[in-house]
Amino acid sequence: MNPGKLATQAARSMRRYPLRTSLMMAGIVAGIASLAALASIGEATKRETMRRFKNMIGTFDTIMVRPGGGRSRGMPTLVNVPPTLRFDDARAIATNLPEIKAVAEMQSAFDIDVKYRDRAASPAVFGVSANWLSLRSDEVEQGAFFSEEQDQSLARVAVIGPELRKSLFPDDDEPLGKTIRIAEVPFQVIGVLHGRGAGPAGGSLDNLALIPVNTASRRLFNRDYVTMLIAQLKDPSRSEDAVAAVTALLRERHHIRPPALDDFAVTNPAAVMARVTQASGTLEKILTGVAVMALMVGGIVIMSLMSIAVSERRSEIGIRRAAGASRGDIVMQFTLEAAFVSLSGGLLGVIIGWGGLEAATRLQKLPPVFVWQPLGVSLLLSLAIGLAFGGYPAWKASRVDPAQALRS
Amino acid sequence: MIEMENVTRLYPRGQEIIEALRGVSFRVLPGEFACVRGASGSGKSTLLNILGCLDRPTSGTYRLECDNVSQCSDRQLSAIRNRKIGFIFQSFNLLPRTTALENVEIPMVYRDGRVDRRRALRALDRVGLGGRASHFAAELSGGEQQRVAVARALINDPALILADEPTGNLDAAAGRDVMRLLQDLNREGRTILLVTHDDAVASYASRELLLADGRIASDRAAFTSGPAMGGSR
Repeated sequence: MNPGKLATQAARSMRRYPLRTSLMMAGIVAGIASLAALASIGEATKRETMRRFKNMIGTFDTIMVRPGGGRSRGMPTLVNVPPTLRFDDARAIATNLPEIKAVAEMQSAFDIDVKYRDRAASPAVFGVSANWLSLRSDEVEQGAFFSEEQDQSLARVAVIGPELRKSLFPDDDEPLGKTIRIAEVPFQVIGVLHGRGAGPAGGSLDNLALIPVNTASRRLFNRDYVTMLIAQLKDPSRSEDAVAAVTALLRERHHIRPPALDDFAVTNPAAVMARVTQASGTLEKILTGVAVMALMVGGIVIMSLMSIAVSERRSEIGIRRAAGASRGDIVMQFTLEAAFVSLSGGLLGVIIGWGGLEAATRLQKLPPVFVWQPLGVSLLLSLAIGLAFGGYPAWKASRVDPAQALRS
Repeated sequence: MIEMENVTRLYPRGQEIIEALRGVSFRVLPGEFACVRGASGSGKSTLLNILGCLDRPTSGTYRLECDNVSQCSDRQLSAIRNRKIGFIFQSFNLLPRTTALENVEIPMVYRDGRVDRRRALRALDRVGLGGRASHFAAELSGGEQQRVAVARALINDPALILADEPTGNLDAAAGRDVMRLLQDLNREGRTILLVTHDDAVASYASRELLLADGRIASDRAAFTSGPAMGGSR
């Protein structure tokens, strides 16, 4: 009659049969533990991937253009640059296309020695235009970035990443105003970048020196083509249109006609991002499926053990019926018992799963991300399993003939 | 109190149909102490199930305090069992791994969910087991278990007590204790209906219904002036 009292009766029955209760819980504990851990790891990994992408790209309102064949996918590599994308291409994109707000140019070189006094390092050296900082939503922590004028006048100034700073100025020396030599050409350090952390592949994004792109082109690399262009979009939600417009413009400028392939590649970070998170989503779905299967097994264990319990407890059912329990009361009591068992198993499973997740994030060196949604869903799921799989035995219990049960 | 009119109960068993009751009619007045006797297979158990609202007649009417029980739903029957009927069984039927007190409380759970612990303790006191409240039922002797069952039967203050061979599993002394308790309950005005084979036990009743082959064979006042206290068992 009174659900609270029935719940107490159900809890007492659980205590009365500890072995059966723990057996029933085992399957649910295993299923929920793996489900909670897997779902949380999946969610945490996804968030971490997104964070690293954002580290590398800066913002999602840009598209990237780099030279070379149109077949390559994913993020651009910065070595072996074909000489097909030129500075005037960048200017044409910036001035002719209404979809594009601004274009930043970039030239890069690796394995260039950077020295300060007797210390040497080989960071990535990027020649970039003065608007690079804002397009990448980077920040200068100390000093200043170079200006458009410094770029035009081929100024020998450099802004260095925090990691390069650490290797060249380890003793907390003031780097600003110091002269470093990049490929034996002297540059004055005018700023230090804010740290970005790890990129999607795990490498650091902070071991670099940024110099004006014109200085790089004429004084250092002696190249008139760029490694990459970053185009900022007016409307980030219409990135596909911008990709199409840039492609059309560059094909025209490079005199490419079908069936010839592009000699450049446009990357849309938002689209890449979507693909990556979708891929990890698929893995997550498979793992979740496995865990759900474990839960189903747990549910079936509950159902069969409860069914056995019903036949063992026929006389209890008879006693309760004689004392005034209706069929509904009996259904309620046994369903509640199953739900309790399942929910306690779920709770235990969530705790174990959470422990496993902690261990896993330590091993994978992921930052511990507490994602409560999968844990909550797991708990609800365990309750639902108890109700679903406890329902049939409970119904069976209510069909026991009390007169017969009392006489046996 | 009890009005049975032409009650029949048929069971299908395989191809044939068993006629357990073939038209039973009788009345029991409030405060009576009646016993039902009869050979096994005479329909005693079936009659008791119907009287206890654990079963329904195939035809005929059964009124308990004017309620026509034959047409009640399961929920209504359960409420009637809960409030109007106290059961005492030959095999005690207590939950073994549950304390005496919690056993007594069970009918209160299904009444309105309010479990009045002091009332349950008073009921145990009344059957002389106040000191055993926290013992598991399985730890008690047969006589004690049956007295716990009596306490449970009267916890919801029912008007009718149905006792099915209440002394069948007890020694003579314990049986007498239980019968005296029933006698007390009867003196309070409760109607008692007793099923027994035992002459000594039957002698507590003031009326005897003899059941044979699904019918009432005889219905007479018991003329013994009082219970035969000798108790051969």
